[in-house]
Amino acid sequence: MLEVSGITKHFDGVHAVDNASLKISQATITSLIGPNGAGKTTLFNIICGYIEPDKGAVQFNGKNLNGCAPHERASAGIGRTFQNMRLIKRLSALENLMLAFNYISPPLTGGDEGEGEKGEGVSENPGFIKTLFYSISRTHEIKNKEKAYELLDFVGMKDKVYEPAGSLSYGQQKLLSLACCLALDAKLLMLDEPVAGVNQETIHKILSLFRELKKSGITIFLIEHNMDAVMEISDRLIVMDEGRIIADGIPSEVKEKPEVIEAYIS
Amino acid sequence: MDYLLHILIMVCIYSIVSMSLNILAGYTGLLSVSHAAFYGIGAYTTALLALNAGLPFWINIPAGIIISGVIAFLVAWPSLRTYDDYFVITTFAFQIIVFSILNNWVSFTGGPLGLPGIPQPDIFGIKISSHVSFLIFVLTFAVLTYIFLNRLMDSPFGRILKAIREDEIFTTSLGKDVMKFKLTAFIIGASIASISGSLYAYYISFIDPTSFTIMESIFILSIVIIGGAGNLKGSIVGSALLIFIPEMLRFVGMPNSIAANMRQIFYGLLLVMFMMFRPQGIMGKFAFGKEGGVKEEVKKDA
Repeated sequence: MLEVSGITKHFDGVHAVDNASLKISQATITSLIGPNGAGKTTLFNIICGYIEPDKGAVQFNGKNLNGCAPHERASAGIGRTFQNMRLIKRLSALENLMLAFNYISPPLTGGDEGEGEKGEGVSENPGFIKTLFYSISRTHEIKNKEKAYELLDFVGMKDKVYEPAGSLSYGQQKLLSLACCLALDAKLLMLDEPVAGVNQETIHKILSLFRELKKSGITIFLIEHNMDAVMEISDRLIVMDEGRIIADGIPSEVKEKPEVIEAYIS
Repeated sequence: MDYLLHILIMVCIYSIVSMSLNILAGYTGLLSVSHAAFYGIGAYTTALLALNAGLPFWINIPAGIIISGVIAFLVAWPSLRTYDDYFVITTFAFQIIVFSILNNWVSFTGGPLGLPGIPQPDIFGIKISSHVSFLIFVLTFAVLTYIFLNRLMDSPFGRILKAIREDEIFTTSLGKDVMKFKLTAFIIGASIASISGSLYAYYISFIDPTSFTIMESIFILSIVIIGGAGNLKGSIVGSALLIFIPEMLRFVGMPNSIAANMRQIFYGLLLVMFMMFRPQGIMGKFAFGKEGGVKEEVKKDA
């Protein structure tokens, strides 16, 4: 589904990411771990298009994404959450979610995510007149609102619909960011520390959501420092250190590798 | 009576131009100081077409909208690539350029002498000449503008503009082409500003470059900030307030030469007071600009 080959990025002589290659297949959960400054978030930013790599290519569903703007990658189905929460704090949970919908194309069909046989892939950019026209039309809005309620229900936040995102608890904000990615109809979720700083109960909730999403065919790629959660949920573990991928495989095996242990101790 | 009607007409004209700036500055967070330029482009387009070609208002006003929109596109395309203070400077530069052209291209714009004798508009042969009919004329435009913008800002499009003001990266991550939305907002704002310029030209029937200076842009911005950024009704209230109150100075028996200067002092003072004590303006919900200013952070900790 996602194929990253030979990505290299220097920042003033520092190898932030050094010749990183990886492949992620559909409906799996892959965790990217490594010490602070290992280049995990940089790699995420490169995959999502926020940083242009010096070398290497990113392919998504067989399509080369080089030169694609971040919003094009998002519309192509790569959802992304951020380490420091980026929600519109003044807008309600519902409005944040509604932002994610593409109000130009027909509203998302109900039912489970990932099952929708849409096949269009990248939704094209609307023209100026079309943008205005759809803006004024309310039928879209009503259908999307229903879908938004469903999604909020799915992440267990039905009672927080009208609360400003800024007043939600940290864990709820994480859930809301996740719901935003789902509203985007993303097939690949790139989550930067989805359970960091969240209480145990919410962690369980988030992890069970992950399992459900995986069942419905969604692929999850996450960065996380909470090793208990990582070991519990991951199908695969990728370890980065100083910009290089030093291990890649089944969690229980990767954990035992000497270079991984060394990277964490040193 | 005519005097009061005159003030109401000016309130309507300024409501339109400040609502259009509110789309940029209040909703999208694009602090533009070039709005008087677009206001002027509308006024000059209407004046030149009416004077030289004798065209009716229902051609002149749309012509102003289109010309403003095209110029807005050309200006916004490069300047929207800059952020914050740099964006303000690029719009400032554009404002200066437009003023210089209006002031110096004498053969075309009349230069500092301006364009006198703009004919009054007529609808189906009925000349709009009395103050009452003018008030109805401009009020119609103001109401239509309000309805259109209110609906637009209440739509997904408006929501995306608000999101762009708060966090561009988040909006991008949700698959929205931020640049395109900003560009559209800028064009809409500029086009609507040109409507009020056209109305102004018709009403005053004489225009010269001094009505479209940087001071005018800042005055329009003051209306937006004092009325309440991100609130269309605020722009209307702001227009009423900033036009009515200085008129009061006439009644306290101040000579005209002093009153003009007093107005500037008054606007400045009002702006500073609002920034200090009510940064969200009269009708606004939030302080001007992005969320998370120093004050809000401190309040959160307390």
